[in-house]
Amino acid sequence: MTSPTLAPADALAASAGATPPPAGDDATQPTASAPRRRRRWSRTAIFGLVFVLPAALYIVIFQLVPVLYGLVLSFTTYSPLSRSGPEFTGVDNYAELLGDADFGNALLVTGRYVLQVLPITVVLALALALLVNRPFKGVGLFRSALYVPHIVSLTAVSMVWLWMYSQTGLFNEVLGFFGAAPQNWLLDSDSALNAVSAMRIWKALGSNMVLLLAGLQSIPRDLYEAARVDGAGRWASFRYVTLPGLRPMLVYVVAMDIIYLAQGFAEIYVLTQGGPLGSTTTVNYLIYTEAFQYNQMGSASAMAFVLFALIIGFSVLAVRGVMGRQK
Amino acid sequence: MTASVDTRRASALRRMRRGHAPGEGRVGSIVVLVIVTVLVMVPFAWVVSLSFTPQSEAFGSVSLFPAHPTLENYATAFFDADLARALLNSAVVGVVTVATNCILAVLAGYAFAMLPFPGNKALFYTLISTAAIPISVTLIPLFLMARGIPLVGGNDILGQGGSGLLDTLAGVILPYIVMPMNIFLARQFFTSAPLELGEAARMDGAGELRIFFSVYLPLAKPLIAVVAIFSFTGVWDDFLWPLVVTSSQEVQTVQLALARFLGSGNVQYGPLMAGTVIATVPVLIVFLFNQRSFISGLSDGGVKG
Amino acid sequence: MDVHSTHACTPRTPRGRRHARRATALLALGAATALAISGCAAGGGSGDSDDGGDKTLSVWLPGTNQAEIDLVTDTIVPAFEEETGAEVEVTYVDWGDISTKLNSAFAAGTAPDIFGHGPAATADFVANDRILDLDDRVAELSQADRDDLATALPGGQVDGVQYLMPLSLQGYLVMYDADAFTAAGLDPDSPPTTWEELKDAAETLTERNGSTITRSGFLAPSQAIARQQTFATFLFGEGGTLVNEAGTEAEFASAEGADALDFFTSLYTGDDAVSANLGEDYLNAPAAQQPLVQQTAAMTIQAPSMMQQIVDAAPDRDLRVMPPLSFEGGDPAAFGGAGPGLMINADSKDPDLAWSFIEYMLSPEVSTEYTQGTGTIPVRASAAESDYAKNSPIITAFLAASPDFQTNPNVVGWVQVRDALDKQLERALNGVATSQEALDEAAAEADKILGANG
Repeated sequence: MTSPTLAPADALAASAGATPPPAGDDATQPTASAPRRRRRWSRTAIFGLVFVLPAALYIVIFQLVPVLYGLVLSFTTYSPLSRSGPEFTGVDNYAELLGDADFGNALLVTGRYVLQVLPITVVLALALALLVNRPFKGVGLFRSALYVPHIVSLTAVSMVWLWMYSQTGLFNEVLGFFGAAPQNWLLDSDSALNAVSAMRIWKALGSNMVLLLAGLQSIPRDLYEAARVDGAGRWASFRYVTLPGLRPMLVYVVAMDIIYLAQGFAEIYVLTQGGPLGSTTTVNYLIYTEAFQYNQMGSASAMAFVLFALIIGFSVLAVRGVMGRQK
Repeated sequence: MTASVDTRRASALRRMRRGHAPGEGRVGSIVVLVIVTVLVMVPFAWVVSLSFTPQSEAFGSVSLFPAHPTLENYATAFFDADLARALLNSAVVGVVTVATNCILAVLAGYAFAMLPFPGNKALFYTLISTAAIPISVTLIPLFLMARGIPLVGGNDILGQGGSGLLDTLAGVILPYIVMPMNIFLARQFFTSAPLELGEAARMDGAGELRIFFSVYLPLAKPLIAVVAIFSFTGVWDDFLWPLVVTSSQEVQTVQLALARFLGSGNVQYGPLMAGTVIATVPVLIVFLFNQRSFISGLSDGGVKG
Repeated sequence: MDVHSTHACTPRTPRGRRHARRATALLALGAATALAISGCAAGGGSGDSDDGGDKTLSVWLPGTNQAEIDLVTDTIVPAFEEETGAEVEVTYVDWGDISTKLNSAFAAGTAPDIFGHGPAATADFVANDRILDLDDRVAELSQADRDDLATALPGGQVDGVQYLMPLSLQGYLVMYDADAFTAAGLDPDSPPTTWEELKDAAETLTERNGSTITRSGFLAPSQAIARQQTFATFLFGEGGTLVNEAGTEAEFASAEGADALDFFTSLYTGDDAVSANLGEDYLNAPAAQQPLVQQTAAMTIQAPSMMQQIVDAAPDRDLRVMPPLSFEGGDPAAFGGAGPGLMINADSKDPDLAWSFIEYMLSPEVSTEYTQGTGTIPVRASAAESDYAKNSPIITAFLAASPDFQTNPNVVGWVQVRDALDKQLERALNGVATSQEALDEAAAEADKILGANG
């Protein structure tokens, strides 16, 4: 926090600055971060490591090792059915991706998907979180109702969405009510990705709302009172108290949304199977097909690691964007 | 600026009282809230409606109320798919996952935020980056590991000879014991917790574990609530891993039980939707129960504001 | 386990094990807690991976239909267990979900003795030496049995060798609305016999509001994967083939192929289009939403189980099944053949026991009962005499059509070839490419895939 320029990796960590007061933030930061910068292996540092260790060991073994296994496979050809094991082929899988038009198209679709779903879910979820962050009778019911999409089984509810989007479904019925012509929501390559996005926004709204709600809860009430004493209006207190206070949680929401949206698969599998004309074929859809339909784990893994690199890159950029003002 | 710094310090010990933006324009915002909530509930309303609709009428009209409502779907869902057993299994898996995540992930996130050690950032980013690799790639190695866990399921010390955790509930839990995203979440949450409290406790000679459990954990109710909800929903919803790791009916989870009604070209809509309603309710209860911690400390000051 | 120690994961295993050993302590907490809670389960289900043991047979059946599960659990398994003294453990997995489960199990050496899958997967299992050659065992069946199964068996063969024993037949025929025929001045008792006649009838039956089709005269599946099957239907009706005899080269980019695809495209385009909603998956839509039920189509291609559901959803209507059609001068053909079936794991400890289970499943009474439960077409021609067929005009029609069934080839890499073809068909149907262009491009890609694997 004391260093003026943040390395990409530090951008996420910089959120540790947190809850800056209404005006200016430089004054508090050295105080806040001083204890974190003491001797290298202080008593707290040792405890820090000890506290992290169980979780870290578990993740290294059961998440990181499989990932590294995938990384090794990405330099081989390998079918899970084969008895002979992976065959080392160097960077062939990656080289093939360079000239693969389908992969290029899938990257574009994935990018567009993330870019159009992300801002809408975050802004809508924030608005909803603000609305249900007030104490009134029955607020729990509203919160629960808004969270329902996140917990209802995707496979089951996707059948309802398929029907809503169908020729005789709810959306066309509503259009007809207003005298508009029926639309081929999922069958038209211009609208299919938007239709999928709408379902995804619906599904993700509740979880983002809950996260931001928890974030709002961690903003000290006194700051609002202080802002009011300073004569701040509603917008000012949102701008100078709520937003800075929410920053750590916004960082989380944006980073995780990018990570999960960029791996969008299930909603596409159930609604469009990647069509029409490849307009909803995301990278992860290709990966799934390659891995489980064609049994080509090698090239599937290579695609996965290209996607991985892009996800990390974009997450860092986006998080820097969220943190931007603080720097 | 000085005033706000002072406010901040003075408030450090009263942080347990979390606040909210003073509410204004309440009627207008409740109207908006009602409209949005109704819209959001539309697809689920049809899930409920279909759960009372006979197979031959499913999706036949845009009416929300079935012409010939029936309870038969619930009976089918419950008895044909042995849903009670599946609910119990999923509940066990869910509770264990919630417990391990609330302890291990939260503790790790806390340490990453409050007790930095050399190399903590590199370790942190390594851990959470594992979430950015699609399951298609990691599924098979994870399966090999589940089979090769030493000393369980007939395995020897080298993990050979038996079936390890395959076809057990422990095997279903395996990938969820600590979810990296929960560590990230906990860290983000604790970055805004006041350091002064810990410093004060340390000066009083409190141990680190004690500082965590009695100073910071009580502040983290909303965090625990979110970690619990997300961990529970995560395992409750998963289909692919339980499908791969289990074989016998005795260990099937809710989503596997529901897949019973999803035969290729032969979907049984009524029982599927009835089962979905049955499967949604427990999670909703968990949520209703948990979301209260978002209000705690709020109502006292909030009502006046 | 001997076979599997040499398998797949060579580069990873040593490292994985070392980590795993270090992890024992950490795992003790989590795993032990969970294990304690799930104690009952840990004991109950280890059977499928203990390699057969003493007369244990693990079976993954390719369906989740309740009637099928009841039949297998309550009747077939107890009877078989009593007869053989073996213990049978059955897991039901929809065949659409089974690939992931099987791949993981093969990689870890825990695959069951018997498993079910669609015929399209067979060639890849054969190429990797994962399933048993069943030729000798089939040869030991009586001549009468083999004749009875004659329609079903070829679909389970790869290079002429039997590997999969189909549990049912699958097929697609045209179902039509006889009342709509009458209302449009057509004779429902003598439906079209060629695709040309069908198109003419469809033009008569198509209803429009302005330029929008409100009732399709005829609908054929045009969504992903299914559109390849529709194309194959027309291709077979033209007398064309998908790949050459050896399975090394694509043959669909022929004159017959172009005509078939032109015909397919013509259903959707031009002033005399007869089909609406290109790309819509009506095939898997709920019965009440089916175009025939909603009366948004007068003729549609369907599978037998959905036909039955359609009849149930519209009990007052006169809906009938057409025999297979051809193009003028060709032989009638319909897309169909072996459905999902059973294979024996090449590593099964007791292949004889596994074969007796399959034999039992395919015995006349059991197999008829099985197909009745799943609403599918029986594998035995003699089932035409069963009550199941006699009470169902739909099943009777499909059994009568079954000699004209033709299906996709069982060659290595077929799934990829199918998807490559599917993608190009979509382009032609959407007017992005001409039929010949699309087929040539698909053939080039298919040859590459088939060549690499053949």
